[in-house]
Amino acid sequence: MSEVDMAVIKPEMMKSYIWLQTADGSIQQVEQEVAMFCPMICHEVIQKGMGSSKNYAISLPQRVNPAMLSLILDYCRFHQVPGRSNKERKSFDEKFIRMDTKRLCELTSAADSLQLKPLVDLTSRALARIIEGKSPEEIREIFHLPDDLTEEEKLEPLKNTTDDPRIRLLNRLYAKKRKELKERQKLKNIEVEEERVDDRSVDDLLSFINGDNGDSKGIKNSKSKKKNRRRKDQQKNTSANEAIKNHNKEPNGLNQVCCSAEVGQTVRAGVGATSNLHDVEDDIFDNKNELDDGDIDDEIDPALKEKIDREVEDFARRLNSDWPERMQEILSFGHERKPVHFSLNGNGSLRRYANSEQR
Amino acid sequence: MSIVIKQREPSRLPSKTDAEFDRISNLPGHVIYQILSRLPIRDAVRSSVLSRKWRYKWAKIPCLVFDNHCLNFSSQDQSFIKNKLVNIIDHVLLLHNGPIHKFKLSHRDLLGVTDIDRWILCISRSSIKEVVLEIWKGQRYKPPSCLFNCQNLVHLELFNCLLEPPLMFKGFKNLKSLDLQHITITQDVFEKLVSSCPSLERLTLMNFTGVTHLVIDAPNLQFFDIGGIFEDVSFLNTVHLSYVSIGLYVNIDNEENDARDNSSKLLRFFVNLPHIRRLEIQSYFLKYLAMGYVPSRLPNLCVDLNHLSIRIDFDDLEENTAALCLLRSCPNLLELEMLARPEEQSSMERSTNFWEEDHWSSLFAHLRLVKVSGISGVKSDMDFIKFLLSNSPVLEQLTVKPASQEGEWELMKELLRFRRASIYAEVIYLDP
Repeated sequence: MSEVDMAVIKPEMMKSYIWLQTADGSIQQVEQEVAMFCPMICHEVIQKGMGSSKNYAISLPQRVNPAMLSLILDYCRFHQVPGRSNKERKSFDEKFIRMDTKRLCELTSAADSLQLKPLVDLTSRALARIIEGKSPEEIREIFHLPDDLTEEEKLEPLKNTTDDPRIRLLNRLYAKKRKELKERQKLKNIEVEEERVDDRSVDDLLSFINGDNGDSKGIKNSKSKKKNRRRKDQQKNTSANEAIKNHNKEPNGLNQVCCSAEVGQTVRAGVGATSNLHDVEDDIFDNKNELDDGDIDDEIDPALKEKIDREVEDFARRLNSDWPERMQEILSFGHERKPVHFSLNGNGSLRRYANSEQR
Repeated sequence: MSIVIKQREPSRLPSKTDAEFDRISNLPGHVIYQILSRLPIRDAVRSSVLSRKWRYKWAKIPCLVFDNHCLNFSSQDQSFIKNKLVNIIDHVLLLHNGPIHKFKLSHRDLLGVTDIDRWILCISRSSIKEVVLEIWKGQRYKPPSCLFNCQNLVHLELFNCLLEPPLMFKGFKNLKSLDLQHITITQDVFEKLVSSCPSLERLTLMNFTGVTHLVIDAPNLQFFDIGGIFEDVSFLNTVHLSYVSIGLYVNIDNEENDARDNSSKLLRFFVNLPHIRRLEIQSYFLKYLAMGYVPSRLPNLCVDLNHLSIRIDFDDLEENTAALCLLRSCPNLLELEMLARPEEQSSMERSTNFWEEDHWSSLFAHLRLVKVSGISGVKSDMDFIKFLLSNSPVLEQLTVKPASQEGEWELMKELLRFRRASIYAEVIYLDP
């Protein structure tokens, strides 16, 4: 009631105020001309007669918290003055949107819920400027986006759409990694198979003993491939395949190091990934170690291909400098057939668990 | 220097904490489209690899712009560029999944290939509102007839095209803005096009072939900008027209026309422009207006005319007469711009001062700002400036910019001497 008294005593000092209530319950009053700059508030006042007193404060949408409200009111307070020049308004806007990205997003959301279109335009322009020209990794970092697409999904829309040489390099890199993994997996399987000689028929054994004594390594490879193929036919979902799946997730290490979370994720990642891998395996086995880049490369001539190969090798080496060694270590514990858990120290460096520590 | 692998601190399982930090993915759809629409198409499409939520956000943006930023290289090999562009646009249109409201195609190396036909077909099925098609090189491109089926079209902009709508074409009911530059169109088609778009508010026509007599019948037209070669222009039913800029790019010969047609072009021009606010008479259009009978003043004053710009040859008597008639007919003029057309010097300098003959003091009652440029300091130019300065009581600024440095000093000395009716007048001299 004291406000009413004051109104009687000093009418010339009373401006009209609008009462606003944010989602957290706090109520404040704002000069009328400032608040009415927001269409949503304007609507509430005119159509519904709200906001004239504390009891009838206008409830603002949930996306408007007190901090954002104060920013928005600053904006309104400046722009609702009619006499300002365009230059003044522009330079105010430039200074106004200088804030961290998180607040910028919150502000966009709040301005949109109040239907304040000029501010939404301003903030979306600022956000677009932030996104423009950056790589996906940088954008994820800035906006804290989860990197939850599988590799195949990432590659799908990119193939051919933008024809970026970087994308092509990426594709080749992934393909190389897969190939490397297959190689290692084969090596591992050879070790494993030593225990399961029984699977082969006698004829096979004989033919092997009697067969060509050429390059032992070559023979060994072809033998292991034959064995693998049969094994694969017998058991679709061997643990070897699972291991491949798990390890295949690793090449995503362009932007992150392996960690247990990722590994855990891949198991969950889905059947789609598995079936894709089966196809890939088939390709590799059928094509005898030839890297089938055919469907990934579009019309790269051989000289360029070699150059890109070299670049990819370099790229891979530099990014994952100690990755191959680590994989060897993992694979040498192959008896366990469980994914090895990595963990991150406080300072973020990798520590691998030695086998003995694992249990 | 090796590439640093970013190591993230806590585990990056998509957890509640991530959802709290990720403020952008859950913004309302229309806001996301605003953000994505402001990115070049490359960056917008690449947002599909950011995260699961972002996979298909780009596919719904209502605005697709394919311009020079599409390809980040340029090449002399025409077919290489074409293949790349066609590839990109085909893919984007195929993967796009939502209404398309704006489509712009403007790459400097893209010729008018038939692939454009199928893109236009694709967008015409999608309630398109704005189409901008700029073919920078090569022959005039003929848009397919499906373009003329886009009844939701609000803005159409064509550059280097040949317009031949199908016979059944009944106009664009919602078209508000039409911008045709470097186009070929026949007389009938043009007239029909303009008159069958009842909502038309803005019309731009530059460098056209095939139309000689411009007849503009557009009841809602507010903005009209034309530059080209034509013989005649007439406005029917254009009461709302408030901005007109006309440039006639060819010099016409007065003597030829005088014998045939004594009617006043000036009168005919202004009879249907009662509310004109800004008028720009460019190139040789003043000569056109000066043809036929020129009254001392228009019967209906242009009371709304605030801004006038005239390209004039101060040595030409007819043009001066026409200009004077105009100046007398706009009592509320606020800004005036006179651009001298550099003609060959007339063999004799007129000894009389054309502008001295006028003693109507109410001529420039509200005139505040004047720019005169391209003058060379000859008598006819300076006579006008003298006349202007002594008849504009509220003038605030006169800017003078000569065509060349020749005779600069003389010009400035004369300028200095002129009497000024306004005590506030600043005379600013700009270097040529």
